[in-house]
Order: sequence, then C-alpha cells, then structure tokens
Amino acid sequence: MCISAKSDTQRREAVAYITNQISSTPPNNPVGTSGVLSKLLPLLSDASTSVRAQLLKLFRALPPSEVGAHVEKILMYIRGGMTHLSPDIRTDTLAVLDWLLDVAGDEVVSCSGGWLKTINSFSSMLGWNPSVGSAMTSKGWTTASKATLGTKKGPEAQARQIQALARFLEVGFKPEAPIPVQSAAYWDSIYRLPTTPNPFAYLNLFGIPRDEENEMYLDRGSRQRVFDARWRATIATGMEGARKEGGTVGRAAAALGRALNGGFDGPESGSEN
Amino acid sequence: MPKRKVAALEKVEADLVSLQYKIRRDPRSYAQEFYDQWLAYDAQRQIFVSSPATASSEDVKKFHDLVDLVAHVANLYPEITAPFPDHLKELLNQHHAVLDKELREKIVGSLVLLKRKDVIDSTSLLTTLFPILINTPSKTLRSLLYTKIISDLREANNKTTNHKLNRTIQTVLHNLVTSDRTSTKGMWACRITRELWRRQVWNDARPVDVMKEACLSDNEKVVVGGVRFFLGGDKEREEALEDDASDDDVDLKKVKHQGTINKKTKKRSKQYEKAIEKIKKQEKKKHAPHPLNFSALHLIHDPQGFAEKLFQKHLQNTKNKFSLENKLLVLQLVTRLVGLHKLTIISLYSWFVKYLSPKQANVTSFLASLAQATHNLVPPDVIEPLIVKIANEFVSEASAVEVCAAGINSIREVAMRQPLCMNETLLQDLVMYQKSKDKGVVMAAKGLQSLYREVYPELLQKKFRGKQATMGLRSGEIKLRRFGEEEEGGIEGLELLARYKEEQKKKKAAEEAEEDENGEKKAKKDDDEEDDGFNSDEWEIGSTDSESSGGWIDVSSDEEDDGPAKKKARKTKGGDDDDGDEAPDLVEKEDPAAEAERITKLATTTILTPADLAKLQELRREAKLDKMLGTTQSKRKKELIEKHIEDGVTAEDIELPAMLGKKSTKEERVALARDGKPGREEHKSTQAIRKSKKEAEGKSTTNKEKARKKNFLMTIGKARAKNKRSLVETKKALTNHIAKSKQGGRRRNGV
Repeated sequence: MCISAKSDTQRREAVAYITNQISSTPPNNPVGTSGVLSKLLPLLSDASTSVRAQLLKLFRALPPSEVGAHVEKILMYIRGGMTHLSPDIRTDTLAVLDWLLDVAGDEVVSCSGGWLKTINSFSSMLGWNPSVGSAMTSKGWTTASKATLGTKKGPEAQARQIQALARFLEVGFKPEAPIPVQSAAYWDSIYRLPTTPNPFAYLNLFGIPRDEENEMYLDRGSRQRVFDARWRATIATGMEGARKEGGTVGRAAAALGRALNGGFDGPESGSEN
Repeated sequence: MPKRKVAALEKVEADLVSLQYKIRRDPRSYAQEFYDQWLAYDAQRQIFVSSPATASSEDVKKFHDLVDLVAHVANLYPEITAPFPDHLKELLNQHHAVLDKELREKIVGSLVLLKRKDVIDSTSLLTTLFPILINTPSKTLRSLLYTKIISDLREANNKTTNHKLNRTIQTVLHNLVTSDRTSTKGMWACRITRELWRRQVWNDARPVDVMKEACLSDNEKVVVGGVRFFLGGDKEREEALEDDASDDDVDLKKVKHQGTINKKTKKRSKQYEKAIEKIKKQEKKKHAPHPLNFSALHLIHDPQGFAEKLFQKHLQNTKNKFSLENKLLVLQLVTRLVGLHKLTIISLYSWFVKYLSPKQANVTSFLASLAQATHNLVPPDVIEPLIVKIANEFVSEASAVEVCAAGINSIREVAMRQPLCMNETLLQDLVMYQKSKDKGVVMAAKGLQSLYREVYPELLQKKFRGKQATMGLRSGEIKLRRFGEEEEGGIEGLELLARYKEEQKKKKAAEEAEEDENGEKKAKKDDDEEDDGFNSDEWEIGSTDSESSGGWIDVSSDEEDDGPAKKKARKTKGGDDDDGDEAPDLVEKEDPAAEAERITKLATTTILTPADLAKLQELRREAKLDKMLGTTQSKRKKELIEKHIEDGVTAEDIELPAMLGKKSTKEERVALARDGKPGREEHKSTQAIRKSKKEAEGKSTTNKEKARKKNFLMTIGKARAKNKRSLVETKKALTNHIAKSKQGGRRRNGV
C-alpha cells in the first residue's frame, strides 16, 4: 500500500491505515505529525472523493496541539485546493479548513499570508472579485461575465462557501481574551526559552521581505484595519446579492453578515455601524 | 437515488489544457477561471518555494502544469500576471541547481514563450539565462540554455540588426572574459560569439574584441577557443553561407513532374506553390548585393599591441605550460597577424631559432609560421641567421630528401616575402641542389632559382639567370627593390584609360575637321546634336560602349551616298594626318617618368565620371585577358595573385614538394579508387548492395520485386483459373495481348 499508488482504493486504504495507527492508543507515529503532513498534504487535491474523505478523517485524528506549528504550510495547500479546477475538491477543501479553524484558529488568521491571501481565495471562489474586473475593464466597456465554474454546482456549494467564509471571519474578528497578569511573565520573556517554534516570525529576520498580502496580522485590530481597507466593500456587496437570493444561500449570507457586524464592534471600527 | 451521471463537458473542464484552449478563444469570459488558477499557481508556488529541494513529485507536477497554463495565456491578462516573469526568473536563479529536470525545462521554455509573446524583452530574457548558463553544473540545462540563447539572438536580429541588444550581450560577454581570466567560463563567451559570427548575426568589431580578450586569457581552453576563432572563423562563415545557398535547393522540374503523375490535391498544389515561392526567393537572393564581410583579422583594434601581448604572454613566457599543439595555434595567429598587418616584432624571429631543427616535433608548422611572419618590412639581417640555420640544419646531402625539400621550400617561402634576406654564396649553394636525384628537392631548388630570377638575378650565377632575367638586367627592366621601398600606388589601368581618351579625342577632332569641309548647314545641325549628346555620353555608363559607333552613324545619316566602311578608313587616316602626329611622338620620345606623371595628371586634374570608371574596368579586364593569352606574365606573380596572402602559409605548403615524384603505394591507390564508392565487406553483386541500402533507408521494393516474392499459394489460384478458361476467354486474352504488344507493351515502350 502506498499513498502515491495509481489506484484510488489503494490510496484510500493507505490513508485509512495511517489513520488507524495514529488514532490507536497509544498512537503509533514514528515520523511525527510533520512527517505525516508533508507526505499527505498533496493528497488534498486528490482526484478521488473517497481518498479526500479519508484524509479528512486522518487530519481529525492528528493531535491538535502539534498541528499549530504547521498551519502556514497547510494553509498553502488549502488555498491551492480552494481554487482548484474541480468543484468537488473545492468543497472538500473547505471541510479541511473548518477542521483547521477548530484546531488552530488563532494561528490560521495570524500566520504569514493566512489572513489576506485566504480571503482572496474565498472571494475568487465566490466570484466576488474586484481584481478580475479591473483586469478586464481595459479590454472593453462591458462588465466581465459571471464566473461559471465556481458557482455552477448550485446553491448548496455556494452556501457552504459563504458559511466557511463567515466562520473564518468570525475567528479572525474574535475579541481576544485579555491575558491574565502573571508576575513571572516579565522575567520569562527575558530569560526563558520560548516554547513555540519560530517565535519571532513576525520580525521576518531571515526570510524574503513580505508584501501586504504575505504580512502577518497578529492581532484583531490590524486584521480589522486591513480587511476594512481592502475587502469590506467587496464582501458586503457580494453578501447583499447573496442575501437577496434567499434560501440556503440567503441564510448563509445572513450568518456572514452577523460575522461582519460582530467584527466591527471593536474599538477601532466602533464609529461604523 | 441513482448515481448521477457526470456530463462530458464537466469532466473535461477539470483539466488545464482545455481550460487553456477556452481562455485563448474567449479570454474575457474566462477571466474568473483564470484568476482562480492564478491563485492556485500562487499557492503552489509558495508550497514549492518553501522547500524546493524536497517538494513531492505531485506538487512538482501540479506546479509544472500551472506554470504551463499561466505562461501560455499570460499575454491575455497582463495585469494579473504582471509578477509572473519575475517569479520564474527568481525560481530559476535561486533554485536552478535543485529544481526537478522537467520543471526546470518548463520554466526556461515558459520564459522563452513569454519573450515570444512580447511579455518580456530579449534583454531581460538573455540576462536571466546567461548567468545560469555559466553557473549551472547540469549539462542538459547548459545545452538547453545555449540553444535558447542562440536562437533568441538570431531571432532578434532576423529582420533588422538589433544593435541595442547586441551591444548589451557583447558587453556581458566581454565582461565575462575579462573579469576572471583564469576561469573556464570564458569558453561560453567564445562559443556564443563564434556561433553568431558563423551565422553572420554579428559581424562588426565588438565580437572580435571579445575574442581578442579571450585570446589574452590565462586559461588554456579559452585561449585556444579564441585563437581558433581567428584562424578558422571566417572560413567557417563562408562555408555556412555556401551551405545555406545549396541545401534548400528545390528541383522545380521534379515537383512539376510529380504534379502530373500524382493525384491532384490541395496539399500538392500548395507544395508546388511553395516551391515556386522558394525559387523566387533564391533568385532574389542571388541578385542581392554580396554582403560585405570583413574578416575578423581585419577588424582587430590595435593589432600590433595584440600580437605583442599574445607573443609575450603565451610564447615567450617560459613559465607557460601550454601543450605544443596549442602553442602552435597561438604562433600561427601571431605570425598571421604579423604578415597581414605588416607588424614589427623583432624578438619573434630570434625566438624561432631554437625550434628550427629537423628533430623538433611539427617543425613544418614552425617553418610555415616563420614564412607567414615575414614581410617586406622585416629587416633582412634579422631573418638572415634564420635562413642560414635552416640551410645548415635541413639542407645537406646527408639529410633525408623530405627534410631537404622542406628546408629549401621554406627558404623559398620566406625569400618570396623578403628577397633581401639571402646572401650570394648561400643562394648559389642552394640552387645547386637542382642536380639532386630526388625530384622533390629538384623542384624546390628550381622554385628558389626561378624566384630569384624575378626579384634579384644579380645573386645568381650567370648561367642560372636565364635569358629573360639577363635581358631584363641589361635593359634595366628588372630592378632590385630596396628595403622599405614600396610599389608606387595608383589607379590600376589608368594609363589604359588615358590612352583610350586620347584616341577618342583624336577621333572627334577628325570628325570635326571633316564636317568643316562638308558645308556649314549640316555641321551646325550636327553640332547641336552633339552638344546634347556630349553631356549624357560623359556621364551615363551605358552610352560609352556605343559612343564610337553612335558618333559616326550621325555622320553617315548626313551623307547617305557614302558607305560607312570607306568613311571609317578615311577618318582614321585623316586623324593621323591632322593632330595625331604630336601625341605618339610624345609617348615615344619622353622618358617613362614623365609618362607616369602625365597619367597621374589625368587622375588629379579631371573628375572620373561613372562612365569613365566603367570603361576603366572594361579596359582592365581586356588587358588582363590579353596578358593571360600572351602568357607573358611571370610565374611568380601569378602565384602571388592566386595565393591570397590572407590565407597564410600552412605546414602542407612546406611539405608539398617532398611529395612530388613520390610513387604512391598500392594501398594508397586502392584507397583512392575506393573513395566514394559503396562499402563492400563481402563479395556481393552491385544490385544486392543497392537493395540492402534501400532497405536500410526504410524504402520499399519495386512492384516487380514484390510480384516475384509473392507467396506461391496466393498465385496458384490464378494459375489454375487460366487452365479453366473457355475458348472465348482465351481468345480475348490473346487478342488483348497482341494489341498490347503492338502498343509497346504495358509500359508503352514503342510510343
């Protein structure tokens, strides 16, 4: 059995076997979570539905505490899957994103590229896309036609996508709980070794310089600010259109509206709404 | 619920190739889809960049496909894909060593594609590819990049010369060669320059300068690359030009013939049209002016400095560890430069001394180089010791005949270029070798003798001077040219033109005189005509040929009763009588110096019109023809004319006379006879050989052959049926047979 086997069933079986090994007590994982992830993430855009379903089960079986360090990498694959050609893969990828938000929501919205790039992918998925319009206006005076591939699967898929976006924004705009005052914290930050990998990532000391999209948005305020500047108008317009459709899409859009409004009762955007 | 059937269209949409096709057909409608894929590409790129060396094969494959898609449609969405070329360049620059082979090729191909679609320009493409070409350890990538670079440069210079791009690349190459003289990286500069020189994409002084710097490198390989370019680059270019002309020959007759035989299809008619087009193009090319190409050796800036540096760095320097072969190449270049540009490197000649012994490997090459390095501005006393050394070492009764012949021949080659280097006793000694038994030595010695008969007969003993030389000496026609004396320059054939003009003038004067006699009325009319005709005659090229005849047709139309022949005779007579008596006397009486002065006066006092120049060329050609027929031209001069000085002297030239009179062995003769004939390992008929050759080429047999080889069981039915024929059928067959044979058989041989 091999995860790169040609036949679908073999791949599914392989993933299932790994799932079993990980979820057994005590878990049997000689390569560690990172080893499993680096091998299995490419399967996110696997052609077979059953393999993808099994993969999601495997991810759920992974110990949540160990996933946090790999969020950035997982998100790259998720973004690749969200804009995949096949609508089925797009939908399944959203399930993985949901899992990731469950397991390591804070890391997802605050890692490098995690905030803006993911929203970008969402908007492209939903067809609420300002950049495509601007790219096409130079060619003529009519507006670009509506996307066909992403929304063709009907209202269920779109509702699912809007729900996922709502969930994502909710996590991003969640008010942070104030850190309880600890007398040792001051000294810990000076003398203790940090417990998380790459704790000074936000300084970007050794990487290539980041642009706006790749930047890390560590706290709620900065996330709100950049969302406000770049995406709020677009998403609000799209949401209005979806709400008017009614049905499941409308309901999902209403949830999205709640998430948006929830995001704007913070101190920085208190003046609006 | 029954399983939902997936529609065909939906299925197809899941692959990038069809998406690409759709995007191309309707980029506006598929902008959203493209944007999705752009995002997917971006995500995949990030995955890839985060760990390029350990990326899984699936990721690589996905990335490969996405790059392919984006590259193909990048020109349709310039705003979205603006960062795409930079992404590719960055990837290639930073990770070319660890990239997957296919992906690497795809990225290079995509960059070239982007250039072709005018998304990026040639300069940015080449400046990206070039550093990688130099640095990459992968051979396949190097060859790929090399071909891409060359083809891109050729394409950029296809319609018009792209000076800006050429300058940029040439500067890059120049810097590459000069920045680090010890590294082999300069080889790439050599290779690229040489290839583009061969294809005539570059033909000015800048690439020559690059090669010049390559020659002065410290690395042996680079030096040899540069030197070989100067020694063989121009010949290569000429050959490439000839190849171009010959390889796409179209046999129009054959195509026409095929058109009559084969079924007429659209494809065939198109092929025919294409062939005609091609022939037209070739015709045009033939009539186009020949491209004026200067040889690389002529385009060198500061040849004296270059030759000196080359000599000091690679030859004179005793620490230099080049192999003898490469040293010889450098020597050939240096001496060629010295001979061609008449440079002065005195230390070069003394350097030769230690190599001039029969035991030296490749000594004939050294001898040839010495001859090449000699020219009329080299001081004779510098060469004389070398000549003496060659005579002492090579030419003696005891040495082998080949050695002896080579020695005398090389002395002759040197003396041909600088005759003053010889002294009397040595020459007389060498000339005596024509009494030798070996034919090669005899020929070499005779060659030396005939050379000195022409240039310096005083050195020869009287009995060896020959009739012409003795006569020439007596009349003062043969004069020794002193050191540094140059032949007076002038316009070749100018004296012919002067003579011709004089004759014309005489003719005209004679005509005028005649017309004066003939009544004024007609003369006036004729004068008018002549005035009109005069100006145009002087300037137009075409009219000069008919000038003489045109002139006197006028006259004959005036007087119809007189025959033209009579008139001509009278006219020339009259001319001689009237004015011509002065001119011939002048020519004969005055000394040649004054004559020469008079001729140059023609060039300095009058403006030579195009008509004059055309006439001059015609006269020159005529004179040359006369000389050739008259065989008065000296052998040596002919030799010099035929042998272009630019070709230089090779070792073969030196060895040649020794081959004279040698009888070839049987093996050599057999090999010569076999040359160009089909190989014959075993005894076989010619037909069998031809057949096997045809088979090897994958060609089919003839119908006859097929019929002969046909299985017996397949033909037996027909044979049996023949027996069962009715009488009527038999009769029909027989009459048909007779009718056919009357027509000349199936092939209509009689018709």
